[in-house]
Amino acid sequence: MKKITGFIAALICLQATAQTNKNFVQENFTKIDTSILMRDGIKLYTVIYVPKDTTQPYPFLMERTPYSAGPYGALSYPNAVGPNETLMKEKYIFVYQDVRGRYMSEGQSLEVTPHLTNKKNNKEVDESSDTYDAIDWLLKNIINNNGRVGLYGISYPGFYATAGLPGAHPAIKAVSPQAPVTDEFVGDDVNHNGAFFLMDNFNFMNYFGADRKGPVKNYDGSVFNFSTKDVYSFFLKLGPVKNSQSPKYFNNKSYIWNEYLQHDTYDDYWKARNIRTHLKNITIPTLVVGGWFDAEDLFGALNTYSSIENKSSQNNNRLVMGPWTHGAWESKEWKQFVYQEFGSNTSQYFQDSIETPFFNFYLKDKGNLHLAEATIFETGSNQWKNYTAWPPQNVKQVNYFLTANHALSLQKSSLKNSFDEYISDPAKPVPYTNGIYGRRFDGYMAEDQRFVATRPDVLVFESEELQDDITLAGKILADLKVSISGTDADFIVKLIDVLPDNEPQNANAPKGLPMAGYQRLVRAEVMRGKFRNSLSKPEPFVPNKITTVKFHLNDVAHTFKKGHKIMLHIQSSWFPLVDRNPQKFMRIPEAYESDFKKASIRIYHDNINDSKIVLPVLQ
Amino acid sequence: MQKLTLLFFTCIGSLTVLGQNTDSAWFVNNYSKKEIYIPMRDGVKLFTSFYIPNDRSEKHPFLITRTPYSCAPYGADKYMQIWKSYKMKYAQEHYILVIQDVRGRYMSEGIFEDVRPFNKNKKGTETDEASDTYDAIDWMLKNIDYHNGNAGVMGTSYPGFYSTQAALSGHPALKAVSPQAPVTDWFIGDDFHHNGAFFMMDGFSFYSTFGKPRPHPTQNYGAGFSTPIKDNYKFYLQTGTLKNLANLIGDSIKFWHQMYEHPNYDAWWQARNARAGLYNVKPALLWVGGLFDAEDCWGAWNCYKATKKQSPNTNNKIVMGPWSHGQWSREGSHLGNVQFESNTSAYFQQRFEAPFFQYYLKGKGSLNDMAEANIFFSGENQWRQFDHWPAPGVETKKLFISANEKLSFFPLATVKPAFYEYTSDPAKPVPYTEDVHDDRTREYMTDDQRFAYRRTDVLSFEMDELKEDLTLAGPVIANLLTSISTSDADFVVKLIDVFPDTFRYKTPPPQGEAGRGLYPMGGYQMLVRGEIMRGKFRNSFENPEPFIPNKPTLVKFELPDVAHTFKKGHKLMIQIQSTWFPLADRNPQKFMNIYKANESDFKKATIKIYNGPNATYFTLPILKKQ
Repeated sequence: MKKITGFIAALICLQATAQTNKNFVQENFTKIDTSILMRDGIKLYTVIYVPKDTTQPYPFLMERTPYSAGPYGALSYPNAVGPNETLMKEKYIFVYQDVRGRYMSEGQSLEVTPHLTNKKNNKEVDESSDTYDAIDWLLKNIINNNGRVGLYGISYPGFYATAGLPGAHPAIKAVSPQAPVTDEFVGDDVNHNGAFFLMDNFNFMNYFGADRKGPVKNYDGSVFNFSTKDVYSFFLKLGPVKNSQSPKYFNNKSYIWNEYLQHDTYDDYWKARNIRTHLKNITIPTLVVGGWFDAEDLFGALNTYSSIENKSSQNNNRLVMGPWTHGAWESKEWKQFVYQEFGSNTSQYFQDSIETPFFNFYLKDKGNLHLAEATIFETGSNQWKNYTAWPPQNVKQVNYFLTANHALSLQKSSLKNSFDEYISDPAKPVPYTNGIYGRRFDGYMAEDQRFVATRPDVLVFESEELQDDITLAGKILADLKVSISGTDADFIVKLIDVLPDNEPQNANAPKGLPMAGYQRLVRAEVMRGKFRNSLSKPEPFVPNKITTVKFHLNDVAHTFKKGHKIMLHIQSSWFPLVDRNPQKFMRIPEAYESDFKKASIRIYHDNINDSKIVLPVLQ
Repeated sequence: MQKLTLLFFTCIGSLTVLGQNTDSAWFVNNYSKKEIYIPMRDGVKLFTSFYIPNDRSEKHPFLITRTPYSCAPYGADKYMQIWKSYKMKYAQEHYILVIQDVRGRYMSEGIFEDVRPFNKNKKGTETDEASDTYDAIDWMLKNIDYHNGNAGVMGTSYPGFYSTQAALSGHPALKAVSPQAPVTDWFIGDDFHHNGAFFMMDGFSFYSTFGKPRPHPTQNYGAGFSTPIKDNYKFYLQTGTLKNLANLIGDSIKFWHQMYEHPNYDAWWQARNARAGLYNVKPALLWVGGLFDAEDCWGAWNCYKATKKQSPNTNNKIVMGPWSHGQWSREGSHLGNVQFESNTSAYFQQRFEAPFFQYYLKGKGSLNDMAEANIFFSGENQWRQFDHWPAPGVETKKLFISANEKLSFFPLATVKPAFYEYTSDPAKPVPYTEDVHDDRTREYMTDDQRFAYRRTDVLSFEMDELKEDLTLAGPVIANLLTSISTSDADFVVKLIDVFPDTFRYKTPPPQGEAGRGLYPMGGYQMLVRGEIMRGKFRNSFENPEPFIPNKPTLVKFELPDVAHTFKKGHKLMIQIQSTWFPLADRNPQKFMNIYKANESDFKKATIKIYNGPNATYFTLPILKKQ
């Protein structure tokens, strides 16, 4: 979700400064700082930039945020406003609002505020009603508006954009949820398939979970003092997740952190926070945006789009997926990432050819909109592709079987009782990234995996050299037949593109790093084993009994080029991205160090127990 | 030794870019070059390049390097670019500079033999490298004008070996010899084997070029083998057995196949131990080596020690600095991520090497600033001087492994667990360095070991945070009480300095290190010394012995000397693992001649390291505070 957005926003501001007149906002907009009264009497702090030009009415473009609507004060102007520079120059009435309970707004915030379907009275409020009330006030009180409103936001603000859809104010004419926080138990930010994303949340909640007594321009510091140059070492020393509540750290001072540790299954708490449930009968034009390398809300983008498609038959819904990290589509330039070159400035393309036309068309009736249902950047081949559906219709699900001798094969093994085995030791978890970092390394989603392929606790399966290009489009199914010596374990499956041995060097790579044989991560996902049959009702494993563990990896649009190889890694830890599984069936937030045990993990690949990965091959 | 050395005289460069034109013009105008075939006692002629000062105001000494890497450039009008090297100062002092192709290499006649054995009882026209040096000096004295009757020899790496042999020539005009990173014993500790474990990556990359046959004198051996896979871990793992590697290098590389024929420390290897001749050595000696030299650190320490023991009346001195192979001729303020906080190379050149030759060859200056042992201590980053080495005031102390992966000077009477264990899988060997490389890195000798610490097949033991500085000066001895599930295994012991979490250097390292920006030094696990022992040689390098599976067995071996201070607030760590790839070849973990192993011989093994007062410990050479 999160801080990163602020960081990128700051970067954008800097870049805007470099290229545009830094007084552009002040010269062209009048700033209004005000508080808007909600139906329950709570006031939300709102900052409004009204174009000085009064020759024509303007639509509203609004972002609701938990990260501050600042700078505060009628005399403080930022360097830039709006989702991108072109839209700023197009001029809209830009609106920023502190959501309920955050920064300068009154009230009490809730983690991913649950949506209330049948509100009985004015005391029952949610983000939909707050958005509604704010828009109602804006239409009546800001002069020279054209009666239309657009909502947008990245990450947590992406959630607030989505949350404006159910029960939307009729003036809302276009919404763009971008990397929207969508389901924090199943696939975004906090958990993936019930596995807790320890590092990101520990860092984030230390900032975000800080307390406030009332409205503030700045939160009074973080929950605790924390700095490390080596997160792997820090979290290993921290020990069980339980220890995060020690007096040195959260100490029960962050209610959201408490909730995270309390709700370790897909219970009513999390289900109430799954906004997808409410994306019914959405007809407002929507533009869902996500990044293939988004470590936070890739799931949210893909699944917000698919939920609107599935639940709203009259939708006007589009998807854009680019080769981006969290929010990178906002940046001035995005041409390469972790030593892969995209061949064009993908963020500029998004801003000029997708985002700007979308809002101009629906909010200003300006121009024509020739935007495909799905505008998808295909990595590997490095091209934008337009589809009439996502995933595309002409996709065939192809089984790639794991076989003996570490091969990945179209043919199922004919062997009997064939398996690979490794010891997963929670005291020596597999690192999620190479190198030493003080925070999560953003590049891990496309990183060279050779650093772990050498480990005895990582299984590697590799296809033959490809004779033709193979393009994948859609989600990936991992279908593993496993047995474990404990009663629980995690399974991480990584799909990797192995570059050929004649791959040339890359100028952006560290000197001397051979790109030949580079194992580029394409997609990875974790499944906490006990949730294999139900995220709501965890089940222990019967030790040493062969068991199916089946789960999806998020969508990809990737071409494995001729001469490359397809590789899979399987491992049982991914640290400190994901907290360690004690490998014992239990409530992990209650585990003590002594609960953590080594486990022997077998992955079967024989004629009966045929572990495989199912790839969506574009025909 | 290796490729680097090839560059030694030609492009060490980049030190003095400023003034290069004037320096090159000065050298060409003030020196004359002659190329001469010097006849040896058996009639074989050795190609020799002389750079002779035009200066006639005084008589000059000879400074000689004998090399298997070529005395190029060839041609009387083509000058070596000495002005790119610190050795320019010897030109400014008007030394007669001599470079000779050794017998059988490049333009010299005769037959080359790698690390040719010293023959102490030569008869008639029998030759060795010592006699070739003798004959060359003798010829020079008679045929080159304006010499002062004194000769010195220096050389680094393989030329270091030829320097050692020169010292054994006994020529009365030879007054001073400085063997630097001298190749000394290729089975025990230098270059191609350490304690019998084959350093196949260095060997393969070196011999595929160096070992090519040369039927006639030549100026160029041509290109070597280019590995098809640029990730050396993958290349050597995929190649598999040593047999397969031999097939790749081909039949023509004689010495490669000789190494395969001598899997143990037999008479053939023993004859190639350069220490064997170090008796009654006449010239003054200045041994030079790098604490972090991946190739010949062992040779430098052990030639000094052998001379001390076997030739007690020799004027015997040593300088050891914090250097990679030959780094004392280059920039010397850091290696990889580890900083030394001063230009140690310039210090060496100006304070030790130049005064040594000036004093013995020109009778100038004094050696008052030089002790017998002049040693840089990493960690505290300062030079110390001693009357001998290992240093006076060293006390050995046993450091035991203990509960909770700790190290302690105080063994517990009863300890749990009784042992630590791991599975060593030759199919997934522990990498010697973190990142992917084509060539073996120089920097691995000081690399961060956190990547290894995180593996399930590496044991790590750590002392508590030090309350005061702990200085080690000498060899660390590993006494491993182990049992293995098979009949052979390797043991790699790594001595590591764990920096405090808050550690930062005062100044950032010089730019351009791997393009990664500043490396996080907090919690850095600096390799101070690593060494491998091939288990079957634990009792004898001549007569290997199998292990009895699962029987507790002592594996005792010495790590090359260290000179390092673990600062207050740091921790001392020791890691144990059974592979170090592709630096060392993989042990099939089955007692056999590994050069003949098939892929099917390679098996996983369970390795136990026992804990307790009578079990595993490390003997530390602790330098008492003065």
